[in-house]
Amino acid sequence: MGAARHERARVRGAQQGSEADFEELFEAHWPRAYRAAYLVTHDAAAAEDIAQEAFLAAIRNLDRFDRRRPFGPWLHRIVVNRAIDWTRARRLRGEVELVDVHPATNDPDPLGDDLVAALARLPPEHRAVIVMRYLLELTPGEIADDLGLPRGTVNSRLRRGLDKLEREL
Amino acid sequence: MKRELEEVRIPRETEARERARAVVLSAFAERETVPRPSHWPRIAAIAVALAALGAATLSSSGRAVLHELREAVGVKRAQPALFSLPAPGRLLVSSDAGVWVVEQDGSKRLLGDYREASWSPFGRFVVAARENELAALERDGDVRWTLARPGVRSPRWTGTDVDTRIAYVDRTGLRVVAGDGTGDILLVPGFRGAIAWKPGRPFTLAYASSSRVTVRDVEAGQVLWRSRVRPAAAPIQLEWSRGGARVLAATPRSLRVYDSDGGTPLDAGPGMDRIESAALAATGQAVAFVQVGDRLSSLWTIPRIRPDANAARRLFSGPAGFGQVSWAPSGEWLVLSWPDADQWVFVRADGRGVRAAGNLSEQFRSRSLPRIEGWCCAR
Repeated sequence: MGAARHERARVRGAQQGSEADFEELFEAHWPRAYRAAYLVTHDAAAAEDIAQEAFLAAIRNLDRFDRRRPFGPWLHRIVVNRAIDWTRARRLRGEVELVDVHPATNDPDPLGDDLVAALARLPPEHRAVIVMRYLLELTPGEIADDLGLPRGTVNSRLRRGLDKLEREL
Repeated sequence: MKRELEEVRIPRETEARERARAVVLSAFAERETVPRPSHWPRIAAIAVALAALGAATLSSSGRAVLHELREAVGVKRAQPALFSLPAPGRLLVSSDAGVWVVEQDGSKRLLGDYREASWSPFGRFVVAARENELAALERDGDVRWTLARPGVRSPRWTGTDVDTRIAYVDRTGLRVVAGDGTGDILLVPGFRGAIAWKPGRPFTLAYASSSRVTVRDVEAGQVLWRSRVRPAAAPIQLEWSRGGARVLAATPRSLRVYDSDGGTPLDAGPGMDRIESAALAATGQAVAFVQVGDRLSSLWTIPRIRPDANAARRLFSGPAGFGQVSWAPSGEWLVLSWPDADQWVFVRADGRGVRAAGNLSEQFRSRSLPRIEGWCCAR
């Protein structure tokens, strides 16, 4: 409850022009927004653009934002929807999906790499619901609302996605 | 699952966060806190005497086209970043960080630390120059070959599916090399001016220094024609139409479009204000140019080149200096550089729309507005 009140105060401050308050919102929500975009797109540059664009959309709509609503889910909804759009567009262009275009680091994390590779083999719509459910901690009902899907579809995508991940891992 | 998703390592996460923070906080600082109804783009009638070229007259339709004038520098309601291009194709961009490819969806890739570059004939490759190197690159930045040469600049690529040539200028003069990096020759010793290939074959090169334009068949070694531009000034720009039927030579005081045999369907000048840049549409039927005056810069088009009368239409005006202009491959849009606003302004060629993207220096890691080297390949 305290965290929610604190966030509402930051949103109010940002609406009144406080750069410090907006920076705090950025710090609080960038990591998950960026991570969610990356896990759906599997492209670090695209994830950066998508998450950045979501914050810019937030700035454009800040004056109209209802402070009673939580900021994070609203931002994350923009991120995930844009990430799905981006992934579909890339698939249409016929590009090979890349797990990562950057060189490997010196300290690879087998668990993380395996998970990324397994996620990359899922359809983007399945990836998105898994990321929303388990990274962003949205309920199936909230996911259904955000993606404009029946709740049953969300549940079935979750189930099929998890089954496939389990087989892959 | 949650913990595992949170532990997935993302390449260069910290750098991404810092870049985004800078862009986002800059956008926040510049936002308008009080929403107000407004028209976008804001259209303001302006009474500015036509200071265009002497031969260009303002048509009645020209009077009705879009004019944009703002007290402050920059397009109001510009996107705070480049999210997408308004027309199909890819941009090749150079900044302090190097040369970039920007896809239509706005995604961008840094090819490497090069100063300037241009597309191969079908946009599959890029030829790039750095201080002492010419390089042919894949679109993902992989290097096909390099050539060590002193003071390389102005690389230009032409040819067909099966055979290509690259022209460039270095300290020895104007040189030509095959598309695979072999057979490098010095074509014009001591040359320092503008160059442009006629698309396709035979390999025909236009080059200009002082006030003379020369068109030459490179393989036959034969000069096809020469022409002097008047008033005498070195062309700042040469550009062929896509089919090679016409070539534009722009100087700071004049515009001249030649047919491939040297005829001149457009010969306009001198004007009152300096011509900063110009571009010939792929069809060869239209020209866009930028004039910079003491207080006002304008983007003009001559939408239909005719030998007898040419009507210039002002598409967009603003304070402070405009920079380059380029056509989209489809010919429906133009992109205009506005360095003082740190913006690229996308203007519909029919004057019915303006979009702008700002904060470009930051996005392309540059101290100044990134330069558009080419807009390629609608398909």
